[in-house]
Amino acid sequence: MNIFFSGDIVVVARGSIVIQAFPISGGNLPENIVDEVKRVEGVRTVVPMLVFFGHRLEDVIQLVPANISIGIPPERWTILVGSTPLKPNGRWPSANSSAKEVVVGPSLADQYNLRVSSTIKIKNYNLTVVGILDTRSTILSRAIIMSLRVAQYVYLPTHPSWINMMVVEPKEESMEKEVAENIEENIEGIEALTADERNEIIEPLLSDIEMWNLGIRAMLFLLSMILVTTVAIMNVSERRRDFATLGAIGAPRSSIFRIVITETTLIGLFGGLLGILTGTVATLLLASLYTNIPFTLFFQDLFDIVSPIFMVEILTSTVVVSCVAGIIPAINAMRANISEVLRAEY
Amino acid sequence: MIVRTIELTRIYRLGSSHVTAVNKVNLEVNEANFVSIIGPSGSGKTTLLNLIGLNDKPTSGKVLFNGEDTSLLSESERRKIRLQHIGFIFQTFNLLPTLTALENVEIPMSLAKFSQKEQRDRAVNLLETVGLAERLQHRPKQLSAGEMQRVAIARALANKPSIILADEPTGELDSKTGCKIINLLFDLCKNQKIAVVLATHDERVTEVSDVTYRICDGSITLE
Repeated sequence: MNIFFSGDIVVVARGSIVIQAFPISGGNLPENIVDEVKRVEGVRTVVPMLVFFGHRLEDVIQLVPANISIGIPPERWTILVGSTPLKPNGRWPSANSSAKEVVVGPSLADQYNLRVSSTIKIKNYNLTVVGILDTRSTILSRAIIMSLRVAQYVYLPTHPSWINMMVVEPKEESMEKEVAENIEENIEGIEALTADERNEIIEPLLSDIEMWNLGIRAMLFLLSMILVTTVAIMNVSERRRDFATLGAIGAPRSSIFRIVITETTLIGLFGGLLGILTGTVATLLLASLYTNIPFTLFFQDLFDIVSPIFMVEILTSTVVVSCVAGIIPAINAMRANISEVLRAEY
Repeated sequence: MIVRTIELTRIYRLGSSHVTAVNKVNLEVNEANFVSIIGPSGSGKTTLLNLIGLNDKPTSGKVLFNGEDTSLLSESERRKIRLQHIGFIFQTFNLLPTLTALENVEIPMSLAKFSQKEQRDRAVNLLETVGLAERLQHRPKQLSAGEMQRVAIARALANKPSIILADEPTGELDSKTGCKIINLLFDLCKNQKIAVVLATHDERVTEVSDVTYRICDGSITLE
């Protein structure tokens, strides 16, 4: 579940809320705490970081931030981005903090038309883009990565030696959980979270989302079944004469049943396609509204946002629902009393 | 003899009262006979045609079709007889509105599992026979009442029936068009050796009929 710092321990100030390995709220820590953590038994390396989520609305916690700024010591980029390459002509920011250089994610670069050597302005500081990440990761594509010193200079000018998280690599022979416990025992006011613990933090959230998702799906399933049945019953009752005529000229009941089922299934198929189209557009519009990221940028990652498998699932379920919902109207049409229906016409 | 009815009776139950729509009717329809059943509205013409056409079951009495007692047949066997041996023409045409004239005529053939080519060729031929060669691709809404009834006649002829049951086929038409339709049915009856049973209140039909029955309150008399 945790795609960042898997196998490592994330250390944050006690009470911080951590989502996907990054603190989205909570206190800062003095940088000298890094040396204390290094001395804890089982710790191999400690990478201090300063992370800030850029939210469009103040004081509102958003699950999908508009951007994320990450300060990390130079030469330690790989702990964050792994083997993610930079686009051609790019390089990582230099160790010289006065250079004020950054690497940005591709979604941000597309949105603001950034290239290598472009300048961006954050909190009145001009920063030079020296590289653009070549990634499809949701978080990294919206990231502004810079050296820790530059991040501290830009975001915490009054406390230039503070951080808000550390990534701790345990020694090979040490257990992640034991090292985390050691850290918490030796240093007050911090939380050391293993990958499992970080997953546990977001699991209730994900299971809530999953439950809502299931509930909404079940409700939509029921509603669409009622709707298709109602439409099909109305359709059949309006066309009683047509079905009676077919019966009068000798159409077998099975043919009439098949006609109604085929019609309702086609309604489901076209309804499903229309639903997928409008649902996808609505999702992208909402995401755009929520994150302030232009609507068109989401198209590049459309199938990451709404997976093709999910689309096929929806289409299959709407077709199945309408097929099942057509059974009662089809039986009605099939069992219509021909002579009564035809006599009623006069 | 194609159809013979024996003491055919149909009683409808309306709440606690009973209405005898058809009362002990005995009639015979022979090959290439033009039979008219004349009577006012509500006299039982449509009910009688529905019984003869196996769309309805009698309360008592029998319908013999080609000598076979139809009361012993299952619903699917009755449908099969309707499909293969009986053509229906309705007062309000009863064409399927979403289909073209050609497609409407093809329906019975499609149900009888004719090949696509046979369906198309025969439907075109039948529509030419009823004078609608120029209206093949028109939908019912684009046709006049007389043209719609001609399409209905072509549809009734589709599976080469031995009998056509026409329920007030001129009821929605002006008298001139009505005359044309009657003449068309008469020609088909004589040229293609198809029996026609025509229920109407139009007395002029008696002039061309081989046999005329009068129906009143469900009882018929031979004229």
